[in-house]
Amino acid sequence: MNIFYAAAIAAIMGSGVYLLLSRHVVRIIFGVALLSAGTNLLIFVAGRLRSTQPPVIEAGTQVLDPLAANPLPQALILTAIVIGFALVSFAAALAFKAFQTLGTVNTSDMNDAEAMGSPYASKEAKDA
Amino acid sequence: MPFEAIIAIALAGALIARPVAPLIGRWSGWVFAVLPLSLFVFLAAHIPQIGVEGVLLATHEWIPSLGIALGFRLDGFSLLFSLLITGIGTLVVIYAGSYFAEKPPAQAGRFLALILLFMTAMLGTVLSDDLIVMFVFWELTSLTSFMLIGFDSHKLEARKSALQSLLVTGGGGLALFAGILLIGLTLGTFSFTEVIARSDELIAGPYLVPIIILILAGAFTKSAQFPFHFWLPNAMAAPTPASAYLHSATMVKLGVFLLARFDGVFADVPAFGVTLVIFGMITMSIAAFEALRASGFKAVLAQSTVASLGILVMLIGLDGEVAVVATVGFIITHAFYKAALFFCAGTAIHATGESSLRKLGGLARFLPITAAAAVLASLSMAGLPPFVGFISKEYLFEAQLESNWNMVPVIVAVLVNAIMVGVAGVVSIRPFFLNRDRITSVHHGEKPGLLVGPLLLASAGILMGFFSQYAAQLLIAPAASALYGAPIDVSFALWHGLTPMLALSALVVTIGALILVFWDSIHIVLRRRRVLHGLFGDRGYQAVHDGILGFARASTRWLQNGDQNHYTAIVVATVVLVLAVGMLASEDGLALALSDDPFRISVIAVLAIAAVGAMSSIFARSLIAALVCVGIVGFASALLFMMNGAPDLALTQFAVETLLVIILSAILLRLPVRRHHTRSLTERRRDGFLAVAFSGVIFVAIVSMTAMPLDFRLSEYFGQTSYLEAYGRNVVNVILVDYRAIDTLGEIAVVAFATMAAWALLRSATAKPGKDGKG
Repeated sequence: MNIFYAAAIAAIMGSGVYLLLSRHVVRIIFGVALLSAGTNLLIFVAGRLRSTQPPVIEAGTQVLDPLAANPLPQALILTAIVIGFALVSFAAALAFKAFQTLGTVNTSDMNDAEAMGSPYASKEAKDA
Repeated sequence: MPFEAIIAIALAGALIARPVAPLIGRWSGWVFAVLPLSLFVFLAAHIPQIGVEGVLLATHEWIPSLGIALGFRLDGFSLLFSLLITGIGTLVVIYAGSYFAEKPPAQAGRFLALILLFMTAMLGTVLSDDLIVMFVFWELTSLTSFMLIGFDSHKLEARKSALQSLLVTGGGGLALFAGILLIGLTLGTFSFTEVIARSDELIAGPYLVPIIILILAGAFTKSAQFPFHFWLPNAMAAPTPASAYLHSATMVKLGVFLLARFDGVFADVPAFGVTLVIFGMITMSIAAFEALRASGFKAVLAQSTVASLGILVMLIGLDGEVAVVATVGFIITHAFYKAALFFCAGTAIHATGESSLRKLGGLARFLPITAAAAVLASLSMAGLPPFVGFISKEYLFEAQLESNWNMVPVIVAVLVNAIMVGVAGVVSIRPFFLNRDRITSVHHGEKPGLLVGPLLLASAGILMGFFSQYAAQLLIAPAASALYGAPIDVSFALWHGLTPMLALSALVVTIGALILVFWDSIHIVLRRRRVLHGLFGDRGYQAVHDGILGFARASTRWLQNGDQNHYTAIVVATVVLVLAVGMLASEDGLALALSDDPFRISVIAVLAIAAVGAMSSIFARSLIAALVCVGIVGFASALLFMMNGAPDLALTQFAVETLLVIILSAILLRLPVRRHHTRSLTERRRDGFLAVAFSGVIFVAIVSMTAMPLDFRLSEYFGQTSYLEAYGRNVVNVILVDYRAIDTLGEIAVVAFATMAAWALLRSATAKPGKDGKG
């Protein structure tokens, strides 16, 4: 099964990287979303999928059944899902604000900082 | 011997000079001269002890774990240097006090502080036994030199020269540091005393050639030897008292000091001496030639200093007792006459505001005592009897004739010394006695503070000539013996009889007199040849300097071109490359094994949906469609969590994914829905290639990772202790809120911050609608 997981995760993350390379801010955000989804699955698979039994200690016992799923990656992913959600939401708000202010969703038009000139370039001009 | 006290006193002087000197005012030079003078007297009192005992050592622990100790060593050679440093330091401080008298008091304070700091660093360098400690002080001399050359920081030329000297000497210092580390690696010690005792081990060691090259690099940069000879003449941008001290009498001799020290270590490596002789000869020839072309008062002196350093390096390279005596003798002689001449030059330039020899003349009327000192010093420089310079030159020729070299060094030395005779005449006679019409008035006359230094040093030159046997016994013999490693009986006397050396001296003076007479014509002919401009200058340095800057500029332009796509592409390409290389180079190799768990068609179906959803998001024409595709991936992964015993994850993912789709659609509805290509076809192809490469790497990584055994200890620990210690049955929850509670708190904080930031963004966006709002 590992090869199927690997293929799917690779496809998700590859698509994420392709979108991340776009200059369209919304597509960049989609890329981030896909990359975090792929990463979560990657962590999940890295913890080995050996069981369908949730890692919950059954009533009457005191320790986790060794046949239950690995709890550690689940705890990590739970954090990652929420953080990824916060990141994407904030980025979306930023993109929206940027579009309202600059009137563009293309990062190559978002160049106010570059238009101020390079600190190195001005120093050269002074020396020359 | 309280070495630390010597350095601490000097350092304390440097620290208080800045605030105190302006309070004392015009007498600050005299007051602060007490400090180096007392150190001089204290050190001089140790001359008899060193003469008897040879070496004094002291060691304190510093960084024992690295084998570095605060080790100090005083032998005849370091004593000689310490006396030169403190003695000339005294005169420089007195001179500087008067030199800066008309300047703002704060400037004099800054200068005195730097000079005393430099003196501290110099004393530390020559007194250190531990090579690491020596290196620290060595670099400190480079730094203070940088500060002093750039003292007039409002002048572009001064800043440029300061930077040049720092880059050259500081870079050489790093080479020296590497050499010292290799010595430590070979011998397991940084103590110079041990290094010289175990030199045979060092020579047999594996790093001999790199060590020699690195030490030569350190010494050649510091002592301005070819091909690093260019920085010293440029360093004349420093105030003249600093030039006299740093760039003629003491600091530039540190390279010579180091070479002389290590000459004893590498005595059995013939190539070491040969290299020194060759580079010394090249340096002195170039510098002598450039001295003929130079027209500034200080520039001529600077070129002759480089030539003298070349002579010293050549002398160290020669074998035999006589060469050692000649080296030591010439170090003293040169320090005396060159510092005196720099003082005279400083007074002349200070009084007239002119620095070119072509504009100076007839200054003896206004500066009679300075003129007398200049004549005395230049007679010693020219090597005429009864000055000590004469004895020193005799020894130079004797060392050359006794060595097993052919006549080439002798011929070079005769020519270079003849030019030195010419230089001596030019710098003493012309500005002070000839061309009386050039200067008709001076800004300042002579002051006692401006006279002490040149007069004392110039008369020392003649006194040492007359009482040479005392100088030989007290200073030269202990220093030469310390270098030679065995006691040397020095017969440093004026009259050696009718020897070949005397004939060579006569020849030198004759040619020198001719050069002096025809100086103008030679000078003009050489200056007119355009080919010669910059032939031996810092063109190479400029090329390297500009090359590095150009490379930095070009790489910045390429790497940081303001295009986000470009940045991301570089990051992705680097990640792919590093991962691929890491996987290929790993020791375990790539284990592309299939796991043996049973096939689950339902899981494969969900995986296929996720993959197809992800890839469709690329090709979706409208952003809404792309959002749906991204949502499909999220929901599919929630299903996958569900199917593999992670209901908590599934629940969270469903909730988050739903929220995300809602938020993104709300925003997308206000953005242009149809997307246009933001990348050219070429860029898309390249990005596609990068994405495929990234997927490939991830695929291989996952397959080979899941094929390897996993350490479940941590998971088992949580499973076993979750209920017993944390009283929770849902292990995932217990991990989050108990074992990793702080981490979860941080996560909550991140979400809270993101919410606040998003709220602030969206709130102001609704408050100020319109595209032109710059809020």
